[in-house]
Amino acid sequence: MQKKKNIGAKIIVIVVIAYLLLPLLMTLIYSLFKEWIDVVPTGFTFAAYAELLADPAFWQSVLRTVIISVIPIALCTVFVLLAMYVVVLYHPEWDRFMQVLCTIPYAIQGVILPICVLSLYTGAPEPLNNRMVMLVATYMVVILPYVYQGIRNNIAGVGAGRLIEAAQMLGASKLYAFFRVVIPNIMSGVTVSVMLAMAIVFGDFVIINTLAGGHFMTAQMYMYDVMKKSGQRTCAVIIILFVVTLLISGFAFVLQSKQGKKKTK
Amino acid sequence: MAYIEFKDIDKFYGKNHVLRGINLEIEQGDFVTLLGPSGCGKSTLLRCLAGLEQTSGGKIILDGEDITQKDPKDRNIGMVFQQYSLFPNMTVKENLAFGLKLQKLPANEIEKRVKDSIEMVELMGKENEYPSNLSGGQQQRVALARGIVMRPKVLLLDEPLSAIDAKLRKSLQTSIREIHKELGLTSVFVTHDQDEAMVMSDVIHLFHDGIIEQSGNPVNIYTKPATPFAAGFIGNYNILNRADMKKLTGKDWDGDIAIRPETLILSREQISSGESYKMQGEILDRVPRGNVLRYKVRTNGVEVYVDVLFRSASMYEIGDTAFMALADHNCVRL
Repeated sequence: MQKKKNIGAKIIVIVVIAYLLLPLLMTLIYSLFKEWIDVVPTGFTFAAYAELLADPAFWQSVLRTVIISVIPIALCTVFVLLAMYVVVLYHPEWDRFMQVLCTIPYAIQGVILPICVLSLYTGAPEPLNNRMVMLVATYMVVILPYVYQGIRNNIAGVGAGRLIEAAQMLGASKLYAFFRVVIPNIMSGVTVSVMLAMAIVFGDFVIINTLAGGHFMTAQMYMYDVMKKSGQRTCAVIIILFVVTLLISGFAFVLQSKQGKKKTK
Repeated sequence: MAYIEFKDIDKFYGKNHVLRGINLEIEQGDFVTLLGPSGCGKSTLLRCLAGLEQTSGGKIILDGEDITQKDPKDRNIGMVFQQYSLFPNMTVKENLAFGLKLQKLPANEIEKRVKDSIEMVELMGKENEYPSNLSGGQQQRVALARGIVMRPKVLLLDEPLSAIDAKLRKSLQTSIREIHKELGLTSVFVTHDQDEAMVMSDVIHLFHDGIIEQSGNPVNIYTKPATPFAAGFIGNYNILNRADMKKLTGKDWDGDIAIRPETLILSREQISSGESYKMQGEILDRVPRGNVLRYKVRTNGVEVYVDVLFRSASMYEIGDTAFMALADHNCVRL
């Protein structure tokens, strides 16, 4: 009976994995073949990848995307950590307001936010009217709920207040205790939040297109450009972006699992 | 001059007056217990001494110095928490060395102190384990070691054994008491468990509703409760009013009287010894409590609890009639 249940569970997992991987697999196949007129694609080639990898504009766009993702995520994470430091240690009663405040961006539709930002800040003085500043700030707002919720849950989970009190009794200041004791213990949660935020920023086209337009060629914009010219190359761009994201996520998870292994050694 | 002095300590949480003008002195080297039910203010007073809570009024003097406004990190007080509060990302050794490193002690001194503390709590071989790999009892031993490794002026223990099973709790009670004596510490222990307080303390301060209800050594507190609350909280006293005492003994009494259940004598035969009051009653209930059987007995319309040693050969059944006797000196006036 138990064996039957196990087989059933395995089948469900396999079906879900197949369902999730199928579009990616088809994209990969499409990027590797010249034609797909019949049931089986023909004309196997790496030409699309070779062209892309040889194009400096492509690499620049990927680099820009990475930078434009990393800066708002890093800033947002630091600000949320500092805010949580104040909330946990000095004003626990502010937590519910923080929660409401950080949930608001969920309710804002993708296209509304950049248009509002543009209309508010276009006439504003430097550096507020700078498109890159607008973009970074807008992304910070977009990813705020994900970063906040992940950090908040982890802080509650490790019992940050208790740990800080214990560290204080051993001679640590509150600030030192927060950064030396609490943060290392919530790093796994922070990593997951950062990955989620990274996925959101990497997948965005609406905000970056509205705010930066053609002035700032990111991977998404590059892909949009390529889409008009070649389906095969578009698929190759998607696959490369997927691999880049996978590498960044993989790196973060390796760091996280090393930390976890150390704790349960 | 006492080693620790609390002078007129008040503490409010909003409108809630948690500590009401507490005055308390603790001598150096004593093992002092703050005992009381949940919400009585005992942990709050401990946290005020630690510096984790600010007092709303009054002064705290430690070793002749006013520490009321000092940060916890500057008080040189060690603390063991109920939930252990070990740092999960650090090994046992790292947990113990944390405070010593902050004091910037030389590496060999840190090594020596950590080793000594680990030996003292008998955790040799666990130095490189993470807290998640230790049992609850072991984690609490680490917390205890971390509390003493700093050589604090005072060791505070905030219900450290309440999350631990009964058997292990007894062994840890002994360990804590031994370490306290060996290091000559001044320890302040918070618990709601009167048995634990009796076993461990030199002095007990019984808290109730933000005030100290009674202070004294365990024998005094147990045998001479000063108030109905003290009698009710310590030793499961029978507390009887004047009317019930008259029914029970046939004489007039002044105010409420407390009678410990084990001072009532129960017998199948008429009691002919020189006890002051003799009576006859009916067994209403019987509850085994370890090596003691607790009977509920109704006599002259008054219900009292009587504790006798658990001897299965001489047990009373519910509904049995039994003779009872009570000595006058066991009737404590409240």
